[in-house]
Amino acid sequence: MLAYIAHYLVMVGIYTILATSLNLLVGYSGIFSLAHAAIYGIGAYASALAALQLGLGFWGGLLVAAVVGALAAALVAIPSLRVAGDYYIVASFGLQVVILTVFINWTSLTNGHAGLPGIPRPRVFGLVVDDPFKYVVLSLALAALTYLICRRLTASAFGRALRAVREDEIAAAATGKNVVAVKITITTISSALGALAGSLYAHYITYINPTSFSLDESIFITSLVILGGTERLAGPLVGSLILLAVPEALKFLAIPDTVAAPMRQILYGALLIVFMFVRPEGILGRARPRRAA
Amino acid sequence: MDLALQLLATGLVVGSLYALCAIGWGLIYGTTLHFHVAHGAVFALAAYYAYVAQTWLRLPLAAAVLVAIVASAASGLLIDLLLYQQLERRGAFRTSIFIASLGLLILLENVLAIVFTPDPMRMDIGALNTAVIIGPVFLTYLHILTVALALAGYGALMLFLKRSRWGQAIRAVSSAPEMARTVGIDLRRVHLLTYAVGSALAAPAGILVAMDVGAEPFRGTRFVLLASVGVIMGGIGSIPGAMLGGLFLGLLENLGIWKLPSEWQSAISFGVFLVFIVLRPRGFFGRTIHSAEI
Amino acid sequence: MAAVGAPIMTVQGVSKAFGGIQAVEACTFEVAPRLITGLIGPNGAGKTTVFNLITGFLRADGGSIRFKGEELLGMAPHEVEARGVVRTFQHLRLWGKMTVLENVLLGCRTPLGESVVSLFLRPARVREEEATARRRALEVLEFFGLAGRAHELAEDLAYPEQKLLSMARIFATDAEVLLLDEPTSGLDTDSLQRIVPMVRRLVEHGKTVLLIEHNMELIAQLSDEVVFLHQGRVMARGRAEQITRDPALTEIYFGV
Repeated sequence: MLAYIAHYLVMVGIYTILATSLNLLVGYSGIFSLAHAAIYGIGAYASALAALQLGLGFWGGLLVAAVVGALAAALVAIPSLRVAGDYYIVASFGLQVVILTVFINWTSLTNGHAGLPGIPRPRVFGLVVDDPFKYVVLSLALAALTYLICRRLTASAFGRALRAVREDEIAAAATGKNVVAVKITITTISSALGALAGSLYAHYITYINPTSFSLDESIFITSLVILGGTERLAGPLVGSLILLAVPEALKFLAIPDTVAAPMRQILYGALLIVFMFVRPEGILGRARPRRAA
Repeated sequence: MDLALQLLATGLVVGSLYALCAIGWGLIYGTTLHFHVAHGAVFALAAYYAYVAQTWLRLPLAAAVLVAIVASAASGLLIDLLLYQQLERRGAFRTSIFIASLGLLILLENVLAIVFTPDPMRMDIGALNTAVIIGPVFLTYLHILTVALALAGYGALMLFLKRSRWGQAIRAVSSAPEMARTVGIDLRRVHLLTYAVGSALAAPAGILVAMDVGAEPFRGTRFVLLASVGVIMGGIGSIPGAMLGGLFLGLLENLGIWKLPSEWQSAISFGVFLVFIVLRPRGFFGRTIHSAEI
Repeated sequence: MAAVGAPIMTVQGVSKAFGGIQAVEACTFEVAPRLITGLIGPNGAGKTTVFNLITGFLRADGGSIRFKGEELLGMAPHEVEARGVVRTFQHLRLWGKMTVLENVLLGCRTPLGESVVSLFLRPARVREEEATARRRALEVLEFFGLAGRAHELAEDLAYPEQKLLSMARIFATDAEVLLLDEPTSGLDTDSLQRIVPMVRRLVEHGKTVLLIEHNMELIAQLSDEVVFLHQGRVMARGRAEQITRDPALTEIYFGV
């Protein structure tokens, strides 16, 4: 049971990173991405391959993951965000499809559906993180680091520019903000952080295959953001705590798997709809300023 | 060369399906500016409406199809009336409409998966399954019907937009919503109509696919996103552009595997899309949508 | 054509068509430094289009717009702003869900705080810059009489105050040329008395103002020089009193 809780907490850490980083886009910038699972996958594959083929350590793998994740997103963000936000919905879906196709079909590199086994446990400051309890610490520490990075970004002049772009990009441009650069920057950073979660996941499970990084996963991460929602950075943590507990609860109800999986999706779909009614101005708006600006 | 001809024919058939989705989705997007991904759910629903009408209600095929199209149009209309318009009344941002639309898509797809299982539900299409062999090209009557219906759907839509009073109202709203409002056009009613018409166009696509390979719950997502790619390539606000965009994608995906391994088929369209928006962000015929107009 | 010194901005033969409609045609005028130039004309004369062309929101079909000798046409809006030409909007376009102070801070120069790299690598300098910007923003708010409202949401201000805020936001940018799109529209007499002297004070602070004005009575009060636009063409240029007294122009204006 204790090991079970440890596992749950590790996953909460990983999904908090995913949701916090996606919140930078969806919440703070009003940019919608359907590719966050693909970015997560890129992080996982990049650092798994770095470890398996190049013998890179944990930190090296994290770095590779972040860089590759950022590059993949930039590749798509630069052409599409130059035009309009709606284009990025389509482009990010395209990225999701293309990346998943790469995971499945570039078998010489990714081993296709069979996936990559034997990813080494991380060695952190000379210590091998080999049991779930130690991994809880690592996972939550990286989640905290992500939180701090996001906080630094959003509570700054840059964050102010982000919100200005989200609310009225024409006014932002007239006031001297390079709207396209701001959008591309935040998309790249969001993806670099999302890829970190992938790296953490790969080294934790020690085996990855394409099924963990599908479109459904992107939608799940979106639900986390929406549920935790708002501009509060702690939101994604709350979202992860709640939504990750749901499938575990469903297990106790002994519902057959063929029904349980769609039931979960129905829940996420309903969540997205209901929360738009509760907060129609988006997960973005905050009612009143809570403190001096 | 024989292979190329077969791929060309298949591409035309698949492209016709994309085109039907694209003109409906493009009409809705151009008029309401809603990024209506739940169009994919309407696509899936249409297939099951037809399946249910045929196998449960024992209607003849043609009647089942007709019932399904009407039911799909009503579904689209209800989505706007009960979801989007309610959200708009509460002052929803465009992103919120999109998120709700995405939520509805996932919800409906998975309800269908629970009710009907994720496996394809085959329909009895009788003689439509007969093969037609033209030289090296192998098709069925259904495939030919698909191309014919896409052209008919396109023609009917253009005629409706140009000739009928309601069609003109849609065009007015699409090109200048504020202006349309000031001359007394009821935007909400025009939106409802647009959803009905757009959904009625997606329905044949969903039904034709179901007639070919069976009704499946999760196929709509891909179709609607390809439709949006087609619309952007053709040019937002242009129905001929959406039609050509859809056909182009079908041909591209199929001719692409002439030279590329078929596993990469699903990646081709999006790859080309990315290159395309770098070179021609306005599409072939249309306007770009900026998040805000001055 | 009385102008003080050389013009700071020259608009030369600028044209813009939308579809078949010629919105602006071979438009030519100059903006003299440290004066208020009024752009006037009936509805649809192309006044806002001229603003959009100057500030890079629209691409001109031809012509040239030079600011201190540098060509502005072809620049993106943020590049025009960086050169020192900044505008307001007729519909204000405040960030309603942000505070009054934030609206003005967004006008202030905070290049370090907006650079992701320096945010993490030079935190001390960023903090310093933010503190300076904050002081400056509060000064600007003081100047516009909005200091007491600093922490309210912009959308909660009364309309005249929102107008002042839209001016405060661009005043904070340190741009030399301020383009004001109908600073007086929709205001009652009391509010007018608050805003009209404010425009004058901008000039006293060394700014050059180009403004769009709809009200023929106000134009003489508001501006030194007037450019009269009609159907996208410059019909007349001159001293304010001169233009407002020209019976031919008033006839066009009021459509008599």
